[in-house]
Amino acid sequence: MNRTRAIAKYTAIRLGSIPIMLWLISTMVFMLLRIAPGDPVDAILGNRADDLARNAMRERLGLNQSIFKQYLSFLNDLIHGNLGNALNTQEPVSEIISKALPASIELGITALLIASIVGFVIGLSGTARPESKTDLAGRLYGIGTYALPPFWAAMMIQLFFSVILGWLPIGGRLPPGSSIPEGSGYLILDSIKNGNLLLLQNALRHLLLPAGTLGILLSGVFSRSLRINLNKTLQMDHIEAAKSRGLNKSRILFFHALPNAMLPVLTITGLTVASLIGGALLIEVTFSWPGIALKLQEAINQRDYPIVQGIVVVISMLVVFISVIVDLLIAIIDPRVSY
Amino acid sequence: MQNPLIKTKSLKITKVFLSLISFLLIITQVSCAQKNNTGKIIVSSKGKIESLDPAQASKLLAIQLISSLGDTLYRINSDGNLEPRLAKDLPTFSEDRLTISIPLRENVLFHDGTEFNSYAMAFSLKRFLEIGTLSYVISDRIESIETPERFKLILKLKRPSSSINGVLTSINITPISPKAYLSFKNKFLNDKFIGTGPYKLESFTPERQALIPFEDYWGNKVQNKGINFINYSTSVSLFSAIKSGQVDVLLSNSIEDGHRRALNQLSQKGLLNEGEGPAMQIGYVALRSHKPPLNNKVLRQALSYSINRDLIVRKVSYGLRDPLRSVVPRALKTENNEPWPKYEPSIAKELYKRAGYCNNKKLILPITFRSNVPADKLLALTWQEQVKKDLSECLILELNGVESTTIYKQLGEGSFEAVILGWTGDYPDPEAYLSPLFDCKKINNETCKKGEAVFGGTFWANQKLQNVLKRSELESGITRNNTLNEAEKLASEGTAILPVWLVKPRIWTQPEFNTPEFDGSGRVLLDRLSIKSKNE
Repeated sequence: MNRTRAIAKYTAIRLGSIPIMLWLISTMVFMLLRIAPGDPVDAILGNRADDLARNAMRERLGLNQSIFKQYLSFLNDLIHGNLGNALNTQEPVSEIISKALPASIELGITALLIASIVGFVIGLSGTARPESKTDLAGRLYGIGTYALPPFWAAMMIQLFFSVILGWLPIGGRLPPGSSIPEGSGYLILDSIKNGNLLLLQNALRHLLLPAGTLGILLSGVFSRSLRINLNKTLQMDHIEAAKSRGLNKSRILFFHALPNAMLPVLTITGLTVASLIGGALLIEVTFSWPGIALKLQEAINQRDYPIVQGIVVVISMLVVFISVIVDLLIAIIDPRVSY
Repeated sequence: MQNPLIKTKSLKITKVFLSLISFLLIITQVSCAQKNNTGKIIVSSKGKIESLDPAQASKLLAIQLISSLGDTLYRINSDGNLEPRLAKDLPTFSEDRLTISIPLRENVLFHDGTEFNSYAMAFSLKRFLEIGTLSYVISDRIESIETPERFKLILKLKRPSSSINGVLTSINITPISPKAYLSFKNKFLNDKFIGTGPYKLESFTPERQALIPFEDYWGNKVQNKGINFINYSTSVSLFSAIKSGQVDVLLSNSIEDGHRRALNQLSQKGLLNEGEGPAMQIGYVALRSHKPPLNNKVLRQALSYSINRDLIVRKVSYGLRDPLRSVVPRALKTENNEPWPKYEPSIAKELYKRAGYCNNKKLILPITFRSNVPADKLLALTWQEQVKKDLSECLILELNGVESTTIYKQLGEGSFEAVILGWTGDYPDPEAYLSPLFDCKKINNETCKKGEAVFGGTFWANQKLQNVLKRSELESGITRNNTLNEAEKLASEGTAILPVWLVKPRIWTQPEFNTPEFDGSGRVLLDRLSIKSKNE
């Protein structure tokens, strides 16, 4: 079997396994939520409501049915692309997700970009002068940012840039009084598309601190990984061979060393993206960023089953897709990878 | 050792990187986009508003916002009296107290131009009874709603109810435009609000809301150009926002006590203005009285003498909460009676001894607190230390933090021997505190089998107290106050609840604003907020 066919087969298998994975994940979330203590009816009515009110609410929300019936109904809806309505506000879950997801994706992509740039610069600087002060500082930075508790780092950054210097806003996505304009929900894209400079400026001002904090916290992993892998690659035979063939320095670095050194970094990126979508919670909380992680936390507190289920399913889908894409990229970049 | 291959390249990349950072900083600092150039007041608060539907509102923030966008039939003014708003006059009761007649104000318009009249009021009330999440609060009282005249509303009651006056001030029955809500008769309208209030809604998201003055408002015109609400997720963000001047006003509903204290100190230095409303939120310990060991009344009484409220409020809230020995907030009482006993360790020891403890036998009592409420945890910790210091030979408190949703679910199952909780009445009336804590529909030997006391986790009931509460619904004025005092005294003798503190709502504004005012229900009158004139 040639390589292209092998990759295509692998992709088909991975994509084909998505429905099974989603079914398993959604079933697990459905069951765990029902096992967890707490009741959405309490979260909505408070604990003082009488039996009559509670039963009426239970009936209205469909919670009076058996767990099995609820599960079948949930699966049936899921197959038809219907994530249901929020128990509390009766708003469609798909709408809730479509409002919160762009904020998280915008934050995640910007943070990843910052992490990559910062990590790349620091990793490269360290490799340029191995065991020098720059290298030592880079290594300390890598370990330090990895070890810093995100909530503490976020609060310190907020205190310094927003309170002491007063340069950037405390939190949120836009200034008070301004509403999110009609569009995709991705403020930077929307503002560029509509030529709205004020919106772009406001969006960037509000994005800078949360994305910067998250990016800096992630950049340590990138810089460490790049430094180690680049050092290893630069000592390989093919680099010596390239040098002896008289290739110029940039060409050796960018076409011979970096692609090899980037493979593990790409794997880390894939894993980071997956954790970023749901794992930026502390950053979203600290900077009042209206993203999906914050929404998930609120929904869990309120035991709003459909929102939790919907968000978990959507995040799982994204994670699976991203991991497939990363695997494919690795396969394309590295001919040694076999399937 | 330097690697010459990449040294030059990395320097170039560093330069590009630094230029990019500088570019970003410049474009984000070019203009003062964050500064408030609209003339609107920026009000910050904690949490989100998921719904602006009055039939759905139960969180303090949503209630505050709806009170600016709509008017209720009545409100409790700062003197604690019922003040007609959309009603033209005070309600009149029939002789059997089963019919209430409410004359309505004329020439009042909703924000969409629809006329406010008895039909609109009946529509709003019926809708709340139909879909309101808290409809159970009034559904057992209202038999029917009639509209005999265009500006007259008749409420027929299922049973006489003096506390209905308080219910009529509830934000949940704020009238809404029947025209705008026609397609939302049986479902919530979360992101819009069409009421009659001094402000109308300009934009809404759960995290931010913009209000502009309603030009056709029937009452006094608002004293500012509008309000921009911004909701932060943490107490730290709120504190930072007001301290750095990024917001004009801070509402304190959920701010932590440490920040509350720091803001209080800033206001004492004149760096902020502080306003204080009537305290409506109580903190208490519910004791499970139907199972050992606390089914022993003597032990419950001993615990009642074992809690040093003064110390707790000093340590936890730096004196910004008030110690409380009553379940009804002082703002709702005509006389300041506090039937629960003061802290008396010597009496407590005697009672523990009488119950068979102290002599090498200690009562080990698990205290559960809501782990997501920082003040509750501090209360538990302080009480535990106080008991260690003064009553260690008789009592050991073991702390147990549980998330609030789980606590609420398990309260009625009798899972907690002692649990720290909080309560704010659904309407400003003593009955809104006594009934939810002590009502019981089925009593068996001082144990509640069915009713509010079960949901509240105390399981304590007393037939005499139930009779007194029932009697209070037939009375009014001083007679009713005396009856409610009697009910509270009976509740204190049962000692199934230990009131601990009273939380006052507070608000802080930047120094250039006037001192904010509250109404008698603890809601801020945002329409009266304005920048001070030069000679003030």
